[in-house]
Amino acid sequence: MREKALYLIGVLAVVLMAYNLAEIAAQPSEALFYIPLAGVAGLAAVTALVAGIAFLRTRNFQFDALAVAATEVGLAFLAAGIVCGCFLTHAEGGRWWSWDARLTAALVCWLLYATYLMLRHAVQEPSQRAAFAAVWSVFAFLDVPLVVATIAWWKPAAGMRMDWTPSRLLNLLALAMVGTLLTVVRMRQEEARRELDSLRRVTHAI
Amino acid sequence: MRFFRQVWVVTVKDLRAELRTKEAINSSLAFALVILLMFSFAFDPLADTTREISGGLLWIVFAFAGTLVLNRSFARELPNDCLDGLIAAPISGSALFLGKACANFLLVMAVQLVSLPVFGVFYSVPWTKQFPELLLVLVLGTWGLTVVGTVSSALTVNIRLRELMLPMLTYPIMFPALLGAMELTADLVTGSPIGADKAGFLKMMIGFDVIYTAVSLLLVETILVG
Repeated sequence: MREKALYLIGVLAVVLMAYNLAEIAAQPSEALFYIPLAGVAGLAAVTALVAGIAFLRTRNFQFDALAVAATEVGLAFLAAGIVCGCFLTHAEGGRWWSWDARLTAALVCWLLYATYLMLRHAVQEPSQRAAFAAVWSVFAFLDVPLVVATIAWWKPAAGMRMDWTPSRLLNLLALAMVGTLLTVVRMRQEEARRELDSLRRVTHAI
Repeated sequence: MRFFRQVWVVTVKDLRAELRTKEAINSSLAFALVILLMFSFAFDPLADTTREISGGLLWIVFAFAGTLVLNRSFARELPNDCLDGLIAAPISGSALFLGKACANFLLVMAVQLVSLPVFGVFYSVPWTKQFPELLLVLVLGTWGLTVVGTVSSALTVNIRLRELMLPMLTYPIMFPALLGAMELTADLVTGSPIGADKAGFLKMMIGFDVIYTAVSLLLVETILVG
């Protein structure tokens, strides 16, 4: 049943994006994806925060798996969004990076959440890793509005005009579905890895 | 009231331990001076353009030298299982954290106040002109650095690559406060007052300090006890 629901989400996302393809003739395809990709990354950050807090309250490792899955998917989407932004900047001014306020803020947020994964890799003990990661997720999330505001003050003039058009909103929906799909897949993988780890520990103890 | 007494005890203990060994503050000071000198090789030290970016240079020095102090903050407690003793002591994790953060703050501040005149002499910058305002920015920026750095120090104390992980964790989180401090310091050391367009940075730094102090006090128990 869960498998079928996942397939359905994937198919729906493809249908939505195919419906949107007609728009690509009217505007460069990067513009269609740039903001929605960043939007999905934002949703992933919220998910990771909620999952992290839920882990700290319940100590249920499923929430930890969800947090790491959402963070990784968010990082991938944000990286793709930044690349799309680079293409847009290049098309506008001939430079690949012109310190556009939004893109710079996105890059800093990307680095912020990259430290989350580095911290996870460095901590060995599973419950400590999950708790530290959850704490760091809260820290990183709180930094996002500060980063956005600071960079907006720092480079007020620089910035591409980008609004939410209906086609972009539709793309956000489609990409959010793809993101959900990837998160669920990654979450299962993480849970399987943890189970394998605990089995290994048990055999070690025996 | 008891909470603040506990904070005070931890602060004094940390400062005493540091002033007896001088392991962190000496290396931090030497490091700050070396970077200050190295910047003069990279940029013409007497050019006007260097003066304009000097605030940024100064904060790079402070951030790098600061992590040397912060690295030792919890790592100092590892020999003889002192950290377990501290956590088992009848004080809250937040009192322990705040005490350590205060000690770190004073040490990093000391390093800054020594390197500031050296910086002024090397780059002929009139940093004394607006010293109260500069001190305010220094205090705000340093408190942000020490709060985030002390949390990172607690997070990294028991993990692999401790010395590498601390700056990796601290700098990205510090980014807004560091950017604000750089912008404000660049103005202040060259003699121009904080303009209305830069006042936002000051508010942001205060907000950063308040938010991260509160969240750290809330979550530090989880980090220390698990």
